[in-house]
Amino acid sequence: MAQHQVNYASTAGLPIALTSVDKLVNWGRSNSLWPLTYGLACCAIEMMASGDSRYDFDRMGTIFRASPRQADVMILAGTLSKKHSEFARRLYDQMTEPKWVISMGSCANTGGMFNTYATVQGVDRIIPVDIYLPGCAPRPETLQYAMMMLQKKIRKESANMNKNTKQDLTHQTGKRARLI
Amino acid sequence: MRKYVPKGNVQKKAYYTDRFHVVPRVPRNEVEDAHFASVVSVLKADIKESYMELGQLVIHIDNRSNFDVIKVLKEECGYTQCSEQSAVDYLAQDNEFELFWQMLNVNEAKRVRVVCRLPQGMAIDSIESLFKSANFAEREMFDMFGIKVNNHPFLKRILMPDDWEGHPLLKTYPLHGDEFASWYEVDKIFGKAYRDIIGPENRDPSKIDIEDTKRFSRVGYEVPFGGEYNSDTKEEIEYSDTFLVNYNKPKSKTLDERR
Amino acid sequence: MQQVPNKLTPFFENLNFERDDNTMVINFGPQHPSAHGQLRLVLELDGEQVVKAYPDIGYLHRGIEKMAENMTYNEFLPTTDRLDYIASTSNNYAYALAVEKLLGIEAPRRAQVIRTMLLELNRIISHLFFIATHALDVGAMSVFLYAFREREYAMDLMEDYCGARLTHSAVRIGGVPLDLPKGWIENLAAFCDKVDHEVEHTYEALLSQNRIWRMRLEDVGVISAEDALNWGCTGPMLRGSGVKYDIRKEEPYELYSELDFDIPVSDRCDSYGRYRLYMQEMRESTKILRQLMPMYAKSDSQLMAHAPQYISAPKEQIMTQNYALMQHFVLVTQGMRPPKGEVYVPTESPKGELGFYIKSEGEPYAYRLKCRAPSFFHTGLLQEILVGTYIADVVTIIGTTNIVFGEVDR
Ligand code: SF4
Repeated sequence: MAQHQVNYASTAGLPIALTSVDKLVNWGRSNSLWPLTYGLACCAIEMMASGDSRYDFDRMGTIFRASPRQADVMILAGTLSKKHSEFARRLYDQMTEPKWVISMGSCANTGGMFNTYATVQGVDRIIPVDIYLPGCAPRPETLQYAMMMLQKKIRKESANMNKNTKQDLTHQTGKRARLI
Repeated sequence: MRKYVPKGNVQKKAYYTDRFHVVPRVPRNEVEDAHFASVVSVLKADIKESYMELGQLVIHIDNRSNFDVIKVLKEECGYTQCSEQSAVDYLAQDNEFELFWQMLNVNEAKRVRVVCRLPQGMAIDSIESLFKSANFAEREMFDMFGIKVNNHPFLKRILMPDDWEGHPLLKTYPLHGDEFASWYEVDKIFGKAYRDIIGPENRDPSKIDIEDTKRFSRVGYEVPFGGEYNSDTKEEIEYSDTFLVNYNKPKSKTLDERR
Repeated sequence: MQQVPNKLTPFFENLNFERDDNTMVINFGPQHPSAHGQLRLVLELDGEQVVKAYPDIGYLHRGIEKMAENMTYNEFLPTTDRLDYIASTSNNYAYALAVEKLLGIEAPRRAQVIRTMLLELNRIISHLFFIATHALDVGAMSVFLYAFREREYAMDLMEDYCGARLTHSAVRIGGVPLDLPKGWIENLAAFCDKVDHEVEHTYEALLSQNRIWRMRLEDVGVISAEDALNWGCTGPMLRGSGVKYDIRKEEPYELYSELDFDIPVSDRCDSYGRYRLYMQEMRESTKILRQLMPMYAKSDSQLMAHAPQYISAPKEQIMTQNYALMQHFVLVTQGMRPPKGEVYVPTESPKGELGFYIKSEGEPYAYRLKCRAPSFFHTGLLQEILVGTYIADVVTIIGTTNIVFGEVDR
């Protein structure tokens, strides 16, 4: 059977096309960001509101998916309790690459006003976060702005996710390194 | 792991109390209302103390007769709903819990609170067979205070995870959780070996970490995002409590773009 | 990106085929788009029929009751927003009312009018949210879009009044912080007309006679009056089973004793009856709001109760009178110290009986605060009501109970 060379990028067969492939891929990725409906608490209501008729998230190519397998971005909207933390990590692991995380609301960022025994003090303790969105609760416009920031970030990234500077636990060196 | 040892009452206390401050008490009135009077007379044998407090009848009973009292309330006095049930921790003062049941008579719109004291380590009888709403309420009480309930069909933790240690609403349990609580998610997801890598929880909202160049950038001595913290420049900036005092502009370094 | 190693093992609790008795155990949640939050249900199925249901809650437990023990009474008020976050003001109000009862003070007339308005507005917001999500769960997407459209207008009104869309903190202990802004009443009147119109011409027109809607709701989630009482159901769940009990009527608080409104009851005992009840309650709420508008004009302008021991004086007095300033300073730094005693105050929140039990030992911190949340008991009901139904009806029944996890788990 004839051997076709398909993976031009890896064999450096098309050096000029590389940046444009990046651009093309990132254009596609950034304009069809499908978030996972991961409503945890009050912020989830604002997340729903941003999908409703007034704010209309769909015009940005953002369509909520119910399954982590179909989602690109996880919007962690609300308080993550310690009991739930395991499931958040599981859902994150279930998402296919490439994947991004928006942590929506003070609770997801730092634990917010719930400085108690039952709340995870910042979801970045268990999953890497790309965009931190402050507010309690952030308005729908803010969520849309965060989404646009994420799009901007994606456009800057290399399409090959392995090369990305995104760090994970195994790469951490510093004393107080956290997942970024 | 070292087990958390309770340290007495860790509830927040008023930092200052006026020497002459006398705490008044919400007035407790005689039972006058005809309906409540009939309730009291029906339950005469079991009631230790009864009074009206803010429009509701409060009856104190013995902790062994709670099932019988509530049964009489349901069957003879028309209290068809048990709206709430829980406990108050008086372990530090009296080594007892105070349990209460909040009963509602739907037809007459009257409410009665049944109160009893339960010494630590004793179990209370379940009223689940009378009011099914007690099913969840008693489980919550068990979860939050560790009070055992006899004859409950499924006494298990409800709000906290099954493998949780400690009972959060006890006065000995700190608000920020004990050692077990603070590492719970890390231990569960990554394992204990990752504790060092992830680091302890930051519970101080105003904490500033000078070596963390990802989250903080220093005025005048900026380094790129995630860059190395350079310790020789440490002394050159002087802060008062709120303001930057000595800020040497020409020697300082400002990046056009930090990231 | 490389996967971070973690020790979570694959999760096969989801499907468990290897059972002797032909039943299948499935796991529903805690992340499920129609679970209304973080409800986890473990269902045992025989074919398509549920033989056992086990609701697992606590995934949103945030320790609010513990927080209450470590905060002064005024500090805790914004936290109550996060209980039933769909209708925040009703929580603020229930808490404020409980503390006021304990202190023995009463809000001035204008504050009462504004509070009642906000409570009813929140009831409409919550019911619109109910119809939106319930319809979405059952499969009617367009109702979600329409109901959220109206809900946004109500949010605008709330935002005009208190500046927040979701977490209002619009009520204070002893009154309300602000007077109504200019033009608010007119906007409210327009909004009432709009809601009345939309309820009749959009939601009911879309749903009431819709064949699919009726097939999916009629005789689904049937609960008898006796069971409803036994399980501690309140609010629309209780009235949907034919028990006419509304705390606003039976144990009136605020201005409800002066207002003329009906309590809709349905004796169908099923989800469809409850849906009709919610629609009717929105109409009653607009009726109440319309009666309140003239009352507002007639009230004089005092907003906070006068009780120097517990409540700070108005700003003008603080700025001009030494004693008021001192009192204010003490109240802010140390917090108010209510008398010793215990109080349980029920209020009718959009979801049912929301009550706060407060035990005070005379300290600035509550010795114990228990929040009696209606959704908590409605979740308990699921373990009985789901048995014998089909798997497709499970989401309908969860939707009809209208549970909010902020107050289930607290
Ligand atoms: S940040 Fe505020 S609104 Fe969002 S989940 Fe937390 S408490 Fe709720």
